[in-house]
Amino acid sequence: MGAGNDPPPPFAAAVQRDGMTAFWRTHQSTLVTVFLLLPALAGFFGLFFYPMLLTVILSFRPEGHEVGWTLENYTRFLADPDGRWVILLTFILALGSTALSVLLSVPLSLILREKVRGHQFYRLMILVPLVIPGLIGALGLLLFWGSRGWFNLFLLQFMPFVQRPVAVNYTIHGLTMFYVWLYFPYTCVTTMSALESLDRSIEEAGAVSGANRWQVLRYIVLPLITPGILAGSVLTFMAAFGAFSVPLIAGGNYRPLAVEIYKQISIPIPARWSAASAIAMIMGLLQVAFLTLYMRFVRRGGGTGGPR
Amino acid sequence: MTDAMIEFRDVTKRYGSLVANDHFTLTIQRGELMTLLGPSGCGKTTALRCLTGYIRPDEGRIFLDGKDVTELPTHQRELGMVFQSFALFPHMMVQDNVGFPLMIRNLPKDQRQKMVAEALRLVRLEGYETHYPRQLSGGQQQRVGLARALVYRPKVLLLDEPLSNLDAKLREEMRFEIKEVVTRLGITAMYVTHDQAEALALSDRVAIMNRGRLEQLGTPEEIYEKPQSRFVAEFIGLSNFLEGQVQAVDRDTMAVGVGGLQVTVPALPRIGPGHKVLLFLRPNEIELLRPDAPAGMNVFDARVEKATYLGDTMDYRLTLGQGLDLRVQSDAQRRFGPGAQVRLRFPRVRCWAIPGD
Repeated sequence: MGAGNDPPPPFAAAVQRDGMTAFWRTHQSTLVTVFLLLPALAGFFGLFFYPMLLTVILSFRPEGHEVGWTLENYTRFLADPDGRWVILLTFILALGSTALSVLLSVPLSLILREKVRGHQFYRLMILVPLVIPGLIGALGLLLFWGSRGWFNLFLLQFMPFVQRPVAVNYTIHGLTMFYVWLYFPYTCVTTMSALESLDRSIEEAGAVSGANRWQVLRYIVLPLITPGILAGSVLTFMAAFGAFSVPLIAGGNYRPLAVEIYKQISIPIPARWSAASAIAMIMGLLQVAFLTLYMRFVRRGGGTGGPR
Repeated sequence: MTDAMIEFRDVTKRYGSLVANDHFTLTIQRGELMTLLGPSGCGKTTALRCLTGYIRPDEGRIFLDGKDVTELPTHQRELGMVFQSFALFPHMMVQDNVGFPLMIRNLPKDQRQKMVAEALRLVRLEGYETHYPRQLSGGQQQRVGLARALVYRPKVLLLDEPLSNLDAKLREEMRFEIKEVVTRLGITAMYVTHDQAEALALSDRVAIMNRGRLEQLGTPEEIYEKPQSRFVAEFIGLSNFLEGQVQAVDRDTMAVGVGGLQVTVPALPRIGPGHKVLLFLRPNEIELLRPDAPAGMNVFDARVEKATYLGDTMDYRLTLGQGLDLRVQSDAQRRFGPGAQVRLRFPRVRCWAIPGD
């Protein structure tokens, strides 16, 4: 085109004299980046940071007041035996359902690994609880396990020693079972992928070395998939710890932290926002503390006996 | 029969319509290093797996030290095995990897430590007890694998392509190391590989497998110098194959007509005039002479079609007789260009024939 030989276009000189435009030229990429980030930053501040800050501030305000600072919201909840029971209950439910999820996932993954007939169908079925909204799942479970649900109808019909319906709904074991149903896919999926990435010849080496099936499982397979199980179980634990819709619908008198927070702002009039915020803070801190402990445990070898 | 350590008797294994092992029969003597050699898919790995018990044969029996182990689970067979992928336990230190078979057998701790130290000394890995497998090189990992396989003095050592994950230089080194360790311990070993150089260098005897069957069994020399089939000859190294017809038999030699030429080779039993035979000639065993060299038995005129310089050797494509193609390799001292007339001499003893079809 011969552009190099052309005289500069007439407006170029004017542009160079303009200070604003010079600034624009040198900082163009930075400014564009900031501009493009604006919606995200606005969203972050408006939707995350501001409500979070509000919760923190509210939790230190006397109930129903816009001014003043107090620790009363925390002390009242923590000093109350009911409040401590709520925390304990949340832990029991989360730990219990996590432990049961692991106990369920390991054998299930071991079976599905062998490519049994229809294993792909079962794999898909495991994911169903993740796809179904918790609310609908909880309602379905309540109907199924209720005193007039199929479970009890079956027992009363075919089990001669069952005289009256077995209570499942609104009991702590029933609630744990519902939790497991909802949250075990996390553990199961990671356990399965850990198992599948295992080199089968390692197990063969164990068997040739004289280990029977159980010993191969105990000394080789389980230690090697433990990181996978832990990664999945922490997801299950965190989900169960923060569970809301299931205990709200199916918990009866058992109210874990999330439901307790909801109760504080939905039942009393006027709503007790400060109390709810304090409980939310306690719940958040417990979750962070648990995650930190867990990460430390995993980094130290996660029970596999070796450095990562 | 008393000295048979491993015996495959008519072992057959099918996968659908594919027959992986087809009435495979092989006896390995006590203290012998036997190689199962063959291309991938020939059934050598299936045979090995039948021996370890990871696969149950459809038919046939397997004997270990005179005992029928066909139905015995893997962990009761008292084997040691070295894997292609090393198959070390990644979560255990070297000493625990090597000590695993002893731990499973509930040996007392001090005895275990002594045996682990001994095994590690055998593979020259002292001082690596507290390393994890991923901290070791490939060669070191495979030596740990060897130590683990040998630590409790199994009846039989199995090696499943143990060197194919190592680089070429290390492979040659490890080859001698394995051979030395096996010889020193006097252990019976079965070595599975597709690498013919490995098989020839290591084995007391080689069993060549093809399509699930035993194709030929013999010492490395027998296999290399007297292949019994075209498959073996092709697999063991490049060869020229010439189809011909026996014209006359004279005591221990016979004259074979090949493409208008008459080649004299050692006679074959039960082969007379009129029979078809297949001649093998290794490219490096054909003598390349000047065109004015004296004529004589097995000396033929040929024309150079193509010449390739390979550094220490020259690789020629030659035509001779009525449309015969030959590949000849000779040292690079004397060179011929394309189109040159040369004379070839087939050494009679190096010229090997088998009955043709």
